[in-house]
Amino acid sequence: MQSRILVSYSVLAAAVLAVFLVVALASRGPVEAQAAVQARGYAIRRWWFLLLVAVFAVGFAVTIPFFPYGKAQAAGEPAHVPVTARQFSFDDLPGVIPLGAHVVFDVTAADVNHGFAVYDPHEALIGQVQAMPGYVNHLELTFDEPGQYTVRCLEYCGLGHPVMQAKFEVR
Amino acid sequence: MATMSIDAPGDRSGPRMMRLYLTSGLGLAGVLMLAGLSMRMVQAGWLHLGTLDFYSLLTLHGAGMITALLLCGMGGIWYLVRRETPMNAALGYWTYGLILAGVVLVLIATMVGKFATAWTFLYPLPFVNPVWPWWSTGAFLIGIMLITAGWTVWSLQILEALLRTYGGLRGALAWDVVFHPAAFKASGRKAPPAQMLPALVISFDGLFMSSAGMLLGAALLVHWVDPTVPLDPLWAKNLTYFFGHDIANFIIYLLLAFVYVGLPRYTNREWKTSAVFAIGWWGTLLFLLIAYFHHLYMDFAQPVGVQYVGEFASYFSAIPVAVVTVYGGLLLVWRSGIRWSLGSIFMYAGMAGWIVGGVGGLLDSSVPFNVRFHNTLWVPAHFHNYLLGASLFFALGWVFHRVEERGGRSSIATRWLVGATVFGGAALFIASFYVAGAAGVPRRYSIEPDPGPLLARTGSIGAIVLLCGLIVALVEGLRLWRAGQRAGQRAGQRAGEPAERGSLR
Repeated sequence: MQSRILVSYSVLAAAVLAVFLVVALASRGPVEAQAAVQARGYAIRRWWFLLLVAVFAVGFAVTIPFFPYGKAQAAGEPAHVPVTARQFSFDDLPGVIPLGAHVVFDVTAADVNHGFAVYDPHEALIGQVQAMPGYVNHLELTFDEPGQYTVRCLEYCGLGHPVMQAKFEVR
Repeated sequence: MATMSIDAPGDRSGPRMMRLYLTSGLGLAGVLMLAGLSMRMVQAGWLHLGTLDFYSLLTLHGAGMITALLLCGMGGIWYLVRRETPMNAALGYWTYGLILAGVVLVLIATMVGKFATAWTFLYPLPFVNPVWPWWSTGAFLIGIMLITAGWTVWSLQILEALLRTYGGLRGALAWDVVFHPAAFKASGRKAPPAQMLPALVISFDGLFMSSAGMLLGAALLVHWVDPTVPLDPLWAKNLTYFFGHDIANFIIYLLLAFVYVGLPRYTNREWKTSAVFAIGWWGTLLFLLIAYFHHLYMDFAQPVGVQYVGEFASYFSAIPVAVVTVYGGLLLVWRSGIRWSLGSIFMYAGMAGWIVGGVGGLLDSSVPFNVRFHNTLWVPAHFHNYLLGASLFFALGWVFHRVEERGGRSSIATRWLVGATVFGGAALFIASFYVAGAAGVPRRYSIEPDPGPLLARTGSIGAIVLLCGLIVALVEGLRLWRAGQRAGQRAGQRAGEPAERGSLR
């Protein structure tokens, strides 16, 4: 998924730069009065505005079903796995999770803010929540692929932050 | 095209204040870019730094770069508002003094005290098992509060000046231009110039931001003095990001004022405060304040409603930028016969960088994507894109605009050399963050998992090329400045009075 987003981003960035390049090159052509340029430009701007509003409104509506909040409750009978993050380890994380398991990690922190990010066997980040002292956050994941998964802290939590990780096996 | 300087006649305080803020800000940014390069080289495996040294440097780099670019924007707005209306210079220096004192304390806290919580200093991290001395926590917090106090004084001064000059909030927001255009035109009143809108919106929103910062700072200081007083981590996190997101975001809107003034001078066209322009800024005024919720998407304990608000506000905050400012900027350049010089090139490229960085930010502000990108290197990619590839370019564009006024413009070869190295280096440097973020490389790791080190090497090369380009730009800027000085002296000798400024076209 991330690589597709990166490609989409690159295409959009290239399109933006192309527009700027075209406008810059056009500035070398015949000079037009500002009023004439504005008359055409403002007509286009109305449609540009409507297009952007539509894109963002549709984008907003389309993303809502993919919000992760409340999924833990809606997804039937998951297995709850409590995890406590502390400087610089993840306590109670099981060593093995059964293949096909539908799991909700109930994540909290014992000391400071931490992150709880799960990487699949190909090192792709597949989901994360914050681990906060005094609060329990829920991350729902289903493990359909066997292999070794890595959990990393993604919220800066002190000098041991880059070595704060744990592993579990899905089999 | 006017050929005279845009300085208000007889006003020495405005340009002087701007020079003070701009040179301090750019000087600080330059030093901290070297610190940033050092950290990227540590991640690349090319340089060794102790973990504590790395993270105290990271803390300084984050807090310092925001302050540095903020100084550039604050000085610029002070100067531009002063062109329109009288303002007390002493207050401008007091503001600067408060910020300078804050910067010194942050420097001492991080470089001597090794305070290392990142600029976010998320509660309760500064107080749990710290390896740095107790005093450095207090010094850092007080330093940040002094910077925020300086910002508050600045906001109040700018807001007061604008409300006094344009007849209250209604006039300063160009309300009548939108709702009573005929009556407004008939009254003979003039709408605030384009650059006054960012000045108003940011100084107005800035008071909310600084209130949050001071409240958070006071609460943390109480906890520092008496650790038995507990704070709620989620409450503290909300205040941290309300303060932190806004202060970082305000920078580009402040520096945008330079583009509103500078680009018309290069294109010989006018950037007017139209009804659409004013409405765009009203949108910015609203959305800037509530977009910060996108920093807390991964806090599932946060009420779900604000997560919706976060995504909605993030999306719609892009509309004024894309429809009003950047589109307006492109229209200004289109078939204008713009004079391409380092000043106009930096301003124009900054607008492109803003949109490119904005697209990266919008993707990250989408909740389903944020689950994959939150706190990976995608986030530094976005804000380096935004701060380096837009804000800094706007500031450099303005500096060159100033020196080109008197000293003329650079040769084509110099423009190509500076453009290729600065933009090429920045693109490589920023792309290394984006690619690493997409690969899931976590942010704020002194030692990164693969492919982090490889991309850090690529990023380091980009940063070195960028810094070389900036050095060439600095030398060229000094050359133009000295040429301007000499031209001024010659003209003064001829006429017995201050020199005329050269045309920008």
